[in-house]
Amino acid sequence: MTDSSGNVKIIAIVCNWCSYAGADGAGTARLKQPYDFRVMRVPCTGRVDPLLALKAFEKGADGVLISGCHPGDCHYSEGNYYARRKFELLKRMLPHLGIEPERYTYTWVSASEAARWQQVVTNFVTKVGELGPRQGGAL
Amino acid sequence: MSGAEIARQDRIRELARQALTEGKVDYFIGWKAGHVPSEVIPAFVRNVDECDMLLWNPLCHHNLTTFLKRKMPDPPDARIGVCVKGCDSRTLVALLQETLVDKERLYVVGVPCDGIIDRRRLEKAFSDEVIDIAFQGEQVVVTTRGGETKELAYEELLLEQCASCDFPNPRYYDDLAGELLPQPEGPPRFPGLEEYEALSAEEKDRVLADAFATCIRCFACIHVCPVCYCWDQCVNRSRRPALVGQKVAAKENLMFQMVHMFHVAGRCPSCGACDRSCPVEIPLYLLHRKMNKELFEMLGFQAGLNVEDKPVFQTFNIDDALGEQ
Ligand code: SF4
Ligand code: SF4
Ligand code: FES
Repeated sequence: MTDSSGNVKIIAIVCNWCSYAGADGAGTARLKQPYDFRVMRVPCTGRVDPLLALKAFEKGADGVLISGCHPGDCHYSEGNYYARRKFELLKRMLPHLGIEPERYTYTWVSASEAARWQQVVTNFVTKVGELGPRQGGAL
Repeated sequence: MSGAEIARQDRIRELARQALTEGKVDYFIGWKAGHVPSEVIPAFVRNVDECDMLLWNPLCHHNLTTFLKRKMPDPPDARIGVCVKGCDSRTLVALLQETLVDKERLYVVGVPCDGIIDRRRLEKAFSDEVIDIAFQGEQVVVTTRGGETKELAYEELLLEQCASCDFPNPRYYDDLAGELLPQPEGPPRFPGLEEYEALSAEEKDRVLADAFATCIRCFACIHVCPVCYCWDQCVNRSRRPALVGQKVAAKENLMFQMVHMFHVAGRCPSCGACDRSCPVEIPLYLLHRKMNKELFEMLGFQAGLNVEDKPVFQTFNIDDALGEQ
């Protein structure tokens, strides 16, 4: 497993009910995880305005990962169905704003998927680590 | 001016006169001559005898729907007549879809449109002050203070968005001012993006940083936008949450504009009112047109087409093929 480079700052926006619990599970199970991401817990992906991700980039984040319950599993039934439309638009707009596509992803991790969480963050942090820190002038 | 343009202008005046005489509306919003020949401005007509000041010509760029948006109508329960071009009508449809304006209190005159002139480009083509603009068929005859007279082709002066307009006819109206124009065929077009899209991430960052460094946060783009209406509740005006920094610099200004863009996604049809209002000529179309292009590719969505449609972010489909399934 690749170790984190420690040179990048990553924000992980996760929903309380699935991905946060999954990440927590990964910690409890002592699964080895990169350490250069910070978790922002939200009640549901339905609450996530794409502007939160843009704000993170503006404030110097090198990567943003958003994760929630799998479609069909949202604890408010449909939050992530609305959210994924916004997340997809954001994904298509970020490269247009001068931010490399590798620096953003959105995915679904359930409470019982500690191993999947480990894999998702490891892959993402590795990719962002390869690009290194951003020097954005616009965002 | 072509026969069709004159016929549309006559019809606008006639419909306005009728609506005011019958008491159908308290006032009627159209266009009238501005203080300089290259500018036409909004007109609020309250009396029948003022109807003759209403104009229709290729300088009528203002999207008058903006006067209908939430909290704007004065008084709030006014019955209003309004003229809309194709693009304007799409912003009106977007407001109607979300019941943000009351259909019952509106009288909408749809104006089929051959395209609006880019007045900034026209003015820049002359070093001298333009004192007269006359429309003669396919030609635009411009006279400057120094006495120079030049004929320019109307086609070549069109706004980029008008040169490839997908909806020359209003999508919603009570009465029409003139005959409907042929409806263009084929998928929607999103002109003017290719060059920018071909740049590297770093180059795009540079272009945006340079463009947004000059934004003065005048709010013109937001106030003129017919589908941006949160007023005092707007996060752009708020320090809590401090989403948009107070510092007026490139990053903060782009963030400010992203608030506008992301929050009108699904309602914005790229009418271009924001671009035309920006005093420092920031190419806002790079953002909203791109957003609309992506929304079309993502979900086949186009804003403001039919009143009964749902805006793209107010609904979902379990089968949306987006992201990991
Ligand atoms: S109109 Fe232009 S200068 Fe004014 S706030 Fe909008 S982008 Fe900035
Ligand atoms: S963002 Fe600009 S182009 Fe879109 S609706 Fe508002 S004024 Fe028109
Ligand atoms: S509660 Fe997890 S996405 Fe809605």
